[in-house]
Amino acid sequence: MRADTVPRLGAADQRALEQWQARRRWARAGLVYALMLLFAIVFIGPLLFAAVSSLRTDPLAYPPTLAIPQLQPSNWAAAARLGQAGAADRWFGGFAPGAVVPFEIAYFVPDGVDVTDPDVEVPRRRPGAGLGAVLAIEYAADYATVSELQRLPDVPMTVETGDGTITGRRVGYAFTIRYEGDGPVIDRLPLDVTTTVGMQYLDSTLTASRLERRGRTASFNDVAPGVLGYVLRNYVRVFNEVRSPATRQSLFLAWIGNSFTFAAVRIVVTLAIASMAGYALARLRFRGREAIFMLVLFSQMVPLQVLFISNYLVLRDGILTIGGFTLSSLWGYPGGMLNSLTGLVFVTALNAGAVFIMKQFFESIPREVEEAAMIDGANHWRRYWNVVLPMARPALGALTILTFQGAWNDFFWPFIVLTSPENVKTLPIGLLSFRNTYGAVGDWGLILAGAVMSAIPVIILFVVFQRYFMEGVSFGGGKE
Amino acid sequence: MRTKRSDTVAAYLFLLPFLVLLLIFFVYATGRAIYFSFTDYDLFRPPNWVGLRNYAALFADALFLSALRNSILFAVIVTAVQTFLALVMAAVLNQKVRGIGFFRAAFYMPSITSSVVITLIFLWMFQRRGLINYLNETLQRHLPVLLAFALILIAVQVVQVAWERRRALPATWTDPALFVVSLLVAFGATWLLLTTGLIQARDVPPVDFIWLQTRDSIPRGAPFWLSVPIPLAAIMIQNVFTTIPTFMLMYLAALQDVPKSHYEAASIDGANATQQFLRITIPSVAPVTFLVLTLSMIGTLQMFDQVAIFGDAAPLRSVVTLAYFVYDRMFPGAQTPEVGFAAAGAMFLAVLTLVVVLLQRRLVRSEGY
Repeated sequence: MRADTVPRLGAADQRALEQWQARRRWARAGLVYALMLLFAIVFIGPLLFAAVSSLRTDPLAYPPTLAIPQLQPSNWAAAARLGQAGAADRWFGGFAPGAVVPFEIAYFVPDGVDVTDPDVEVPRRRPGAGLGAVLAIEYAADYATVSELQRLPDVPMTVETGDGTITGRRVGYAFTIRYEGDGPVIDRLPLDVTTTVGMQYLDSTLTASRLERRGRTASFNDVAPGVLGYVLRNYVRVFNEVRSPATRQSLFLAWIGNSFTFAAVRIVVTLAIASMAGYALARLRFRGREAIFMLVLFSQMVPLQVLFISNYLVLRDGILTIGGFTLSSLWGYPGGMLNSLTGLVFVTALNAGAVFIMKQFFESIPREVEEAAMIDGANHWRRYWNVVLPMARPALGALTILTFQGAWNDFFWPFIVLTSPENVKTLPIGLLSFRNTYGAVGDWGLILAGAVMSAIPVIILFVVFQRYFMEGVSFGGGKE
Repeated sequence: MRTKRSDTVAAYLFLLPFLVLLLIFFVYATGRAIYFSFTDYDLFRPPNWVGLRNYAALFADALFLSALRNSILFAVIVTAVQTFLALVMAAVLNQKVRGIGFFRAAFYMPSITSSVVITLIFLWMFQRRGLINYLNETLQRHLPVLLAFALILIAVQVVQVAWERRRALPATWTDPALFVVSLLVAFGATWLLLTTGLIQARDVPPVDFIWLQTRDSIPRGAPFWLSVPIPLAAIMIQNVFTTIPTFMLMYLAALQDVPKSHYEAASIDGANATQQFLRITIPSVAPVTFLVLTLSMIGTLQMFDQVAIFGDAAPLRSVVTLAYFVYDRMFPGAQTPEVGFAAAGAMFLAVLTLVVVLLQRRLVRSEGY
């Protein structure tokens, strides 16, 4: 077709136009997929990037990158080998009596620069900041002996820089670190290898954790780490280094336990209270029904900050104090219910949204179902327990999942109620004390590892029960 | 159905646990908060009645004024930005495609994880040598390349559309098939320009923007009530990021119910994409918009978690909100708690929230939705 002819809409042209339109539909669908992919990457990106960076020795190291030594298979193999040599444990490594840990390190030495043998030292380095540093531990430095350096044959090589090519050679060294005599098994075997100006660190059996003193010192956090000890170092630290100073109990484990307990109890309490109240509001006609329902709606509009003043005091003092007797002493908590999971369950048990969901659901069940039971002479409790509740399984399932998510992620009430000691906290509040302890010294590896781990249960639940979350969104709207 | 006495008894038995909780933790709590707001209670000594003194003192308190300013700016800006972006993104994606489940899961990820996890990750990204500054620097470095790419893209698209129109084909400026071709051409041309060295990334000074430990605000030199502290802007970015996907999916669900014939009729009448968006898309999703606006305003007015999690990472004045103000006066560290003052602040927040809800109700009713 010539460009300047005006097409008459014959049958052939009609077909051509239809094809033209079809191409547009295909192209549009393709573009929509591409955009969706782009949005998905944008929205999931920070989580994924944080998850990858949590493997890094220092997640704040600049520039941010996805090419990190912890993801290189060569380092995995080396870490397993070194862990085996250090403590016969290829997974978590260590430094045990009788260990002989072989290590190699290589430098680039430009032509005209003198080669000086590097200085190898097992430093006396504290693990991290905060609680980990407080706990007295054994140092590998007290037991390790570094062998004589053995110089490997030089290999000529060149290095490309922005200004041109530098010729020189690769100078390698091999040595072993031994644990002679008897002693305790030690978690980590740190290493510092220091050289002179002019020699550039190239590589080593395990990639250096960081370069210090303008690149002269290649510093290793652990040269006998094992695969998991190397790749998941920050995750292992979360469990090992963060302990209660008094009992040496792992705080992170305690927080996980508290979060699960809190979620489980809250699910039971919410299901029981909300299904009963929802049933009454949906199915029974009684005086005051409208007033109660209005109160339910209204209670969802009042900010938590209005309620928490009094509710905090209720947990501290009980509802009313009459002659030294308080409500909380009735429950066996004479000192008040602050800093206890029981108190937290009480103060979060009021869930008007859940009542609303159950009421909506019960209204959708046809009345005839109940009427049959009514004719059989079943009372209200039997109708609720034997007839309506079994039919409400989908709603109860959705409510279970939403309540778990709400309890697991809950911040405000645990933040108010659980303040001390550290081991009464739930995960979100525990993570906050991570931030306060480790954020100040820039140790983000631990914080990110903790955050990623605490996100996992909800993500698994979401992937499995996606449908229920969608219903939750249409019931309750977005999150605050 | 008639009200029966046995029904009433049964109903109150069913409701008993819920009503007890409602009475203690809502009715009693609200009543006590109102009472405290007229007293000088400090958590330890018995309260004394002080009348309206707390309320008068609120407006003389610098921290409260900062909190009020921050809360209002936060609510208005975040609500406006996230509603607009969610609608635009939904409109762009409005097409029935297979496999949306996977994408939906990805979109929801930020909104199902806890506020602590998301805030910690953003705190990490907002560090001076963090991801946000790095992306900013990378963007600036490659600006010439991106500009060249955009120019080529637009030019090729314009030429193609003009060509098709000369052939009397009904191509619009955003024609998707031609756009795919334009994209490919632009990629190729930019790659050629890069390899031949005609354009290249430029050198820029490292971006070292301080997001957190700063008392500065934007825009510079704006009056108190209009200046957004930079750490608050960081929280805004985070909030928009986590909430957009949820609202976008709500919009997308509503858009899929709009009959395709409306758009077809409009395009026959010669309405372009923008006109269709303004005349068809926006009116037909108005009910969702009201829902989204209400949810968003309530959520943002009560923002608390992020401020608490930022903690000492940012100056208190720069991030404090009304909700956090109440907490801060209740537990002011080493100072004496001012419960009465905190309660007055809480009442103010509650009234503000109610006014927003009622205003939007009124608006919805007058619009007839």
